[in-house]
Amino acid sequence: MSHPLDQRLAAYAAGRMPDARDVRVEGLSRISGGASRETYRFRLIWTDPQGAAQERKLILRRDPPASLIDTERRIEFEAYRAFHGSAVPVPQMLWLEEESDALDHPFFVAEEIAGFQAGPGLLWGEPYAGSLEELGRRKWTILGEIAKADPAALGLTEVMEPVALDACWRRELDYWEGVLDEDEAAPLPIIRAAIRWLRANPPRPALKLSVVHGDYRTGNFLYDDKGAIHGVLDWEMAHLGDPLEDLGWSFNPVWSFGRGLAGGLLSRRDAVAAWEASSGLKADLDDLHWWELFNCVKGQAIWVSSARAWIDGGNREPIMVYPSWALQNAQDRATLQVMERL
Amino acid sequence: MTPKIPDVLADLAGLVARNAMPDVDPAERASALGLSSMLFSIAAQEWDRAAARLVEENGAVRALLAEAPAVLGEGELAGRLWDLSAGRDEDLRISALETSNAALRAALIELHAAVEALPGDAARRLDAAIWAELRTSTERRQIAGAPV
Repeated sequence: MSHPLDQRLAAYAAGRMPDARDVRVEGLSRISGGASRETYRFRLIWTDPQGAAQERKLILRRDPPASLIDTERRIEFEAYRAFHGSAVPVPQMLWLEEESDALDHPFFVAEEIAGFQAGPGLLWGEPYAGSLEELGRRKWTILGEIAKADPAALGLTEVMEPVALDACWRRELDYWEGVLDEDEAAPLPIIRAAIRWLRANPPRPALKLSVVHGDYRTGNFLYDDKGAIHGVLDWEMAHLGDPLEDLGWSFNPVWSFGRGLAGGLLSRRDAVAAWEASSGLKADLDDLHWWELFNCVKGQAIWVSSARAWIDGGNREPIMVYPSWALQNAQDRATLQVMERL
Repeated sequence: MTPKIPDVLADLAGLVARNAMPDVDPAERASALGLSSMLFSIAAQEWDRAAARLVEENGAVRALLAEAPAVLGEGELAGRLWDLSAGRDEDLRISALETSNAALRAALIELHAAVEALPGDAARRLDAAIWAELRTSTERRQIAGAPV
């Protein structure tokens, strides 16, 4: 059974591969999840100039009509491209298309890193449960590598807006409070109290300007049953900022999956130790606490935004309802927990 | 809960009907029905308790707002919060209760911010009472299997 996008995607690929003949797409199917981009896997098949048949497994990430988060696809594309081949494993990017002519919405195409899992649901059973500590150490070691990287050397200061070290916290808090102001469908007294506390108790300036992944959590990387990570995914919220921001997001209690461990994987102390060892940075506990609470606000803003996209009719996929129904109250409770009110 | 349950259920009915057609991609069908199933489960949990929790919460918030004049003193804010505290939930449709709840919780945010800025034991006691209600509000809304 062919997919409606098959021929249009093949035509686009043929345009990007002028030496290839008989370009076609097979096996195009949507991957579940992905509330901010529509994600598909497919096989691209073509004949090269020497007449040999070629095939490559690829991923298509296409903008939906309305998204859980508003992001620049070029920033996501460039973040992947910057880290490809580094200590931070990411898939290779092939093509970025910012116009809507080819597939109705902007999109990019990347290699598929096949054969590994991303969903957290499988982690707690065999054959993965025995390697959770190792996976956790890898997770926070890689996050330390992201924190250590020089954004200018990666070329990312060209596409991501730099920010002064003492303004990182304010820029992020202003942005996400603005999202709440715009999108909330019901008052959020706990989150508003958290915002007042954050403004009254700002963190110290960032130790350095880092690339911030923006959604670094269990569920956004490809893992195997040995505790190795083969690809860090979902860079759509990447930006420049305080490296503690990503660490705080990784400790958001909603990502513990009810297991009482950071990311459901590792003790918080061991996670910080792995991050510090690879980043070469020291995580001040007071500042980290600020960023953890900030990330509760950010999380709630994202869940609220998904509800808004559904309510306004821009995106009626059930995945836009799920974060709001399943996570808004959990995020409120996480906020109380971080504020030591629960 | 937002989006509102009747709106979501109406939409899911259409989604399920579309996925009953034989030409739907199996992976897309699996994703749509899996998510729909989780949403049905949450809606089922909310069905029986929604009115009770809203009435209980609206009463608890009104009791806190009634403290405003004693702690904040005379003024526009205290007067407005006092007026809100005098309301009653006479219309027991969930949509009506949710409208009252939203107005009351918006007022609670104003009260909380004002109380935080005040010195004194009365302000601290009301601040503690507000936090206690906020904690309880999350217990009223908990769903099975929530991560926190």
